[in-house]
Amino acid sequence: MALLVVFIAIQFIQPAHNKSKELLATDFNKLFAVPDTVTAILQNACYDCHSNNSGYPWYSNIQPMAWMMARHIKNGKEELNFNEFGSYTSRRQISKLMGIANQIKDDEMPLSSYKMMHKKANLTKEEKVLIMDWMNNKADSLSANN
Amino acid sequence: MKNILIGFAIAATGLAACNNSSNQTADTKQGDAKSDTAMATHQQVKQVTNDTAGTGSTPVTSVVKFPANELITGYLQLKNALAKDNSKDAAAAGNTIVATLAKVDIKSLSDKQTNGYRDIADDMKEHGEHIGANAGKIDHQREHFEMLSKDMADFIKTFGNGGQTLYKDFCPMVNDGKGAIWISEVKEIKNPYLGSQMPDCGTVKETIK
Ligand code: HEC
Ligand SMILES: [Cu+2]
Repeated sequence: MALLVVFIAIQFIQPAHNKSKELLATDFNKLFAVPDTVTAILQNACYDCHSNNSGYPWYSNIQPMAWMMARHIKNGKEELNFNEFGSYTSRRQISKLMGIANQIKDDEMPLSSYKMMHKKANLTKEEKVLIMDWMNNKADSLSANN
Repeated sequence: MKNILIGFAIAATGLAACNNSSNQTADTKQGDAKSDTAMATHQQVKQVTNDTAGTGSTPVTSVVKFPANELITGYLQLKNALAKDNSKDAAAAGNTIVATLAKVDIKSLSDKQTNGYRDIADDMKEHGEHIGANAGKIDHQREHFEMLSKDMADFIKTFGNGGQTLYKDFCPMVNDGKGAIWISEVKEIKNPYLGSQMPDCGTVKETIK
């Protein structure tokens, strides 16, 4: 019973939403010519935690899910923000591109808890290869320019 | 109700999956009394010599006190820990690198040095943090080490070798056949990417005197 009361009580404490429609000059897609196929995968599987604009499904209003999501978004954005990619130095951009490829190769990203709830974030082998190749090629071409 | 229970279960796994996130390091600005003079000596051009072509060139006399030596030492500790497949020591060395970077007094650098340094240092710091936070995940540490090694190679080009002879090694067998470099203090190959799996993969590409 006490648990139920706590459960209901915490429903009223909701973290602020991460929602911004502003298109920044530092946006990944402004910086690079990204194929639509790649953009679509990133938006479906990564942007909820790595951009300034998260999608909020039904359960996101139920605690403790809302807190967990807010935490993922905060930590995720600190690590990588596609909307602010241009604010990284070129060296860090290269590191991030390689990091993305590595995380997908190692099956670390998207987070497994997220994949359970988002079918589209379960990337097929082809989708993974597409992203990894594109990221690695981009990293190589940026390195060659330095 | 069932949905909510599922939600709880997922919340639990999610929190567990996320617990190694950020270990922020305070950016303490410690004035280093010596760094002014030490940095001034950076102005002396450092020369990177090739093993084959290097016979006639003057060796670099590096009297750089900071941060070159300390950073290189931290990096070499990391490299040696990885070569021994020791993830815990690697993490400790990663933290050492972050702590060393936090001590650098940016103001003591010239403008030109500052730009180059910031670029390299920001990247190094991030890799150091991730290596420090991922004891037990040696594969992930090695991914960051690969990028850190490129930073280190560039760092040495700009700021010198801290007075010690270093070697730039390359093993073609890692990284899905793309290969990867590392910096070593010994001529003998001890591969930090493959460890005991294949300790002698690699060759010396460059000697930095
Ligand atoms: C549910 C939220 C979430 C989703 C979806 C997500 N991430 Fe992350 N990501 C995080 C969090 C939180 C971190 C930082 C902590 C960690 O490493 O677990 C992170 C870290 C990262 C890192 C740095 C990892 C490291 O340790 O070097 C990369 C790169 C990354 N994510 C890429 C991606 C990519 C690419 C996708 C899509 C395919 C993606 N993420 C989807 C939450 C998410
Ligand atoms: Cu990492």
